[in-house]
Amino acid sequence: MQDIIHIDMDAFYAAVEQRDFPQYRNKPVVVGGDPDKRGVVATCSYEARKFGIHSAMPCARAMRLCPNAIFVRPRFELYRQISQQIRDVMFSYTDLVEPLSLDEAYLDVTQCKRSFGSPTLVAKAIKNDIKQVTGLTASAGISYNKFLAKIASDLDKPDGLTLITEKQGSEFVKQLSIGKFHGIGPATESKMQDLGIYTGADLLAWNLEELKSIFGKVSDYYYHAARGLDHRKVVSHRQRKSIGSEKTYNEDVGDIKEMLLRLENLAEEVWQDLSGKHMTARTVTVKVKFDNFVQVTRAVTLANDISKLGDITASLQDLLYKADVEGRRVRLLGVSVSKLTLLEQVDEEQLSLL
Amino acid sequence: MKFIVASNVLLRQLQAISGVISTNNPLPILDNFLLEVSENKLTITASDLETTIITEMEADSKDRGTIAIPARMLLDTLKSFGGDEPLTFTINEKGYLVEISSSQGKYKISGQNGEEFPRIPENDGANSLDIPSDVLLNAINKTLFATGNDDLRPVMSGVYCQLSPDNVTFVATDAHRLVRYRRVDAKANKEISFIIPKKPLNLLKNTLPTDSTVVKIEYNESNAFFSFDGHQIICRLIDGRYPNYEAVIPADNPNVLEIDREQFLNSIKRVAIFSNKTTHQVKLKLSGSEIQISAEDVDFNNEAKERLTCNYAGDDMEIAFNAKFIADMLSNINSEQVKMEMSLPNRAGIITPNNGDASKEDLLMLVMPVMLG
Repeated sequence: MQDIIHIDMDAFYAAVEQRDFPQYRNKPVVVGGDPDKRGVVATCSYEARKFGIHSAMPCARAMRLCPNAIFVRPRFELYRQISQQIRDVMFSYTDLVEPLSLDEAYLDVTQCKRSFGSPTLVAKAIKNDIKQVTGLTASAGISYNKFLAKIASDLDKPDGLTLITEKQGSEFVKQLSIGKFHGIGPATESKMQDLGIYTGADLLAWNLEELKSIFGKVSDYYYHAARGLDHRKVVSHRQRKSIGSEKTYNEDVGDIKEMLLRLENLAEEVWQDLSGKHMTARTVTVKVKFDNFVQVTRAVTLANDISKLGDITASLQDLLYKADVEGRRVRLLGVSVSKLTLLEQVDEEQLSLL
Repeated sequence: MKFIVASNVLLRQLQAISGVISTNNPLPILDNFLLEVSENKLTITASDLETTIITEMEADSKDRGTIAIPARMLLDTLKSFGGDEPLTFTINEKGYLVEISSSQGKYKISGQNGEEFPRIPENDGANSLDIPSDVLLNAINKTLFATGNDDLRPVMSGVYCQLSPDNVTFVATDAHRLVRYRRVDAKANKEISFIIPKKPLNLLKNTLPTDSTVVKIEYNESNAFFSFDGHQIICRLIDGRYPNYEAVIPADNPNVLEIDREQFLNSIKRVAIFSNKTTHQVKLKLSGSEIQISAEDVDFNNEAKERLTCNYAGDDMEIAFNAKFIADMLSNINSEQVKMEMSLPNRAGIITPNNGDASKEDLLMLVMPVMLG
C-alpha cells in the first residue's frame, strides 16, 4: 500500500499576482492573454471564478462576464522560480515527487524522510512549509493511489486538506460523477452518458471486455478507477545536483598536510564517480567539520568543466585555507562537485558497416 | 451471379490475405476484396498497389462475374458465424448489391464494380526459379529481422536476393548488422538480383506452407511473382543498388569463440536487462576458456555480470555489442553451438552456426560493435 499526496496550488498564477500586488487582493484577477486580441485565461482568482470565469476561456468573454476584473499578463519566469521553491519543499520530504505542471505534483510519501505518523500530517506539514516559503496556499489530497489523491485535492479548495482512506475509496468513487474522473474529459463524459454512465456506480456495472469494445486501451484505467484502484506509480525525474564523498575520522586531524592528503583521496573517489557517470562539473566544494561540530563549506566555480582529477585537486589547498583550518582540529572532511552536466556520450558509439 | 461457400472456409482465405490491405489506401477501391467467380471457383484478390495477393478456393457456383466487397464488413460478418455456416452470396451486377443469406437471415452490403480494381502487373514468364517452401520460409525468417528502417536508404529496408546458377543468396542489413543466408541446393537459370520489400516478405512468412511444397518465383525488372498452393503474391521490387556487402565481411579474424548457443543467448538477454536503455551495450570479456558478459546502466546504478565457460582461441580481448542485435542473431540460429569470430574491438564480429558444415545452408551473421566508453 502506498501513501500518495497530490498537491495543487490554489489559483497559482493569480495567487502570485495577488501576493505581489496588494491592490489586487480580494479582487477578481485574471492572468492570461490580451482581452483585445484572442488571448485565453491561464488562471483566475477565486473572486473571478464567482463570475463564471475559468481557465481556457477566451479573455474577451471573461471581460464581458466581469468588466471590472483586473487583467494581467503572466510572468512565467517568476512562476517557474516559485514552482522550484515549492518543489524543493516537496523534495525535502520525499525523493518521489512527480510534477504534473508548475502548480501540481504527486508525492509518494510511503517512505517519508521524516517521521510524522500519518500521511495526512505530512501533507499538512508540506502545506505549511509552502505557505512559509512562498506565502501561497495549496490544497492537498491524500489517498492510497494517484487517482483518488488527485480527486481529493479538488474536494475542498482552496487551502484544502482531504483524505480518502482505503475503506472509503470504493464507496467514494461510486457517488462520483463521471466527469470528475481524471482523464475523462467532456467528450468521453458525453459518450459515457450516452451509455447511461453518470457516476462511478454506473461505471462499475460494466465489465472490462465491454469497456474495451467501446473505449479501447484506456479501459483498463476506467475499469480499475471505478473500483477505486489505480496502479500507476509516482515517477520522479529529478536529476542529481552533486556528486560527493565525505568521511568522519576516528581521530581528529590537526595537520594541514594530512588534511590535504585525505581530501585528495576523497577527490579521487569523486572523480571516479563523476567520470563513471559520464558527467562533468564546474564547482568544487570542500566541507570541514571541526572538533566542536561546527561545519563550514567553501566552494569555487572553475572557468572550465572538470576534465581530469587534477582539475579537482588543484583547488583543494585553497579551499582548505579558506575554511580557516590553521591551528584547528577537524573530525570530518568532504569533497563534492556540482553544476553537473552530462557528457556527450560519443565514446559509446554503435559502429557502422556501410 | 450467385455462389455458395462455407463461412469458415471463406474466412480462412480472407484472413490469410487481408494483411495486405493498408489502413490508408491511395484508392478507396483497395479497401475491398475483389471476388471473381467462375464455375465452381472463387478467386479473391487484395492489394495495396505495391503488393497484391490472390487466393483461389472452391465454391458452389455456375455463374461468372466479379464484384468488390468492403473488406472490413465482410470479415466482421464472417467472423460472427462460429462454424461452417453455408452462406449464399447473390450479387445484383447492375447495382453492385451483395446479398448474403445464412440460416439465420439476410444481410445486404453495397459493393463496387469489380472492374474498377487496379490491374495486376503481368509477368512475361521469362525468368523463373522453383524453390521449396520451407527453404524460402527459412531464408525469410533468418534475414527479415536484420533489415533497416531508414527512409533515406530504401534499398536496405528490403531483403536482397541474389540468384545464380550455383546458389541462391539472401542478404539483409541495417548498416549495423548483416545477415547472409545462402543455399546451394537452389539455383536459378541465370544471374539476377533484386530487392524484395518487407511487406510481401511478411505476407509470405504468414502464408507459406512449412513443408516442401514448390514455390515458383518469377521475376522481371520491376516485379516478383510468387505462386504456391493456389496463392499468388505479386510485389513491386525496390529500385536501387544494394551495397556491396561482401566487401564489409572481414576475412582475417584470429579470435574465435565457440559457445553453447542457448546458454549464450539466455545470458545476453538476462544481462541486457541491466544495460543502458539507449545503447543496450553488453560487454564481452574473453580470456582463456571463459567469457565474462557484463552490462551497466550508470544512470540508475544497475549492473550485471555473468561468467560462462567456452572455447576461446585468440588474444584476451574486451568488445561490446548492442545486446538486442546479438540476441536477435542467436535466436535465429538453430545449431546447438555457435562460433563467433572477431579481430579488434572496433571491427565486426561474425556469428555462424557451428554444426560441422553438415547443412545445406550457409548462414553468416555479422554485427558491428559498440565502442567501449
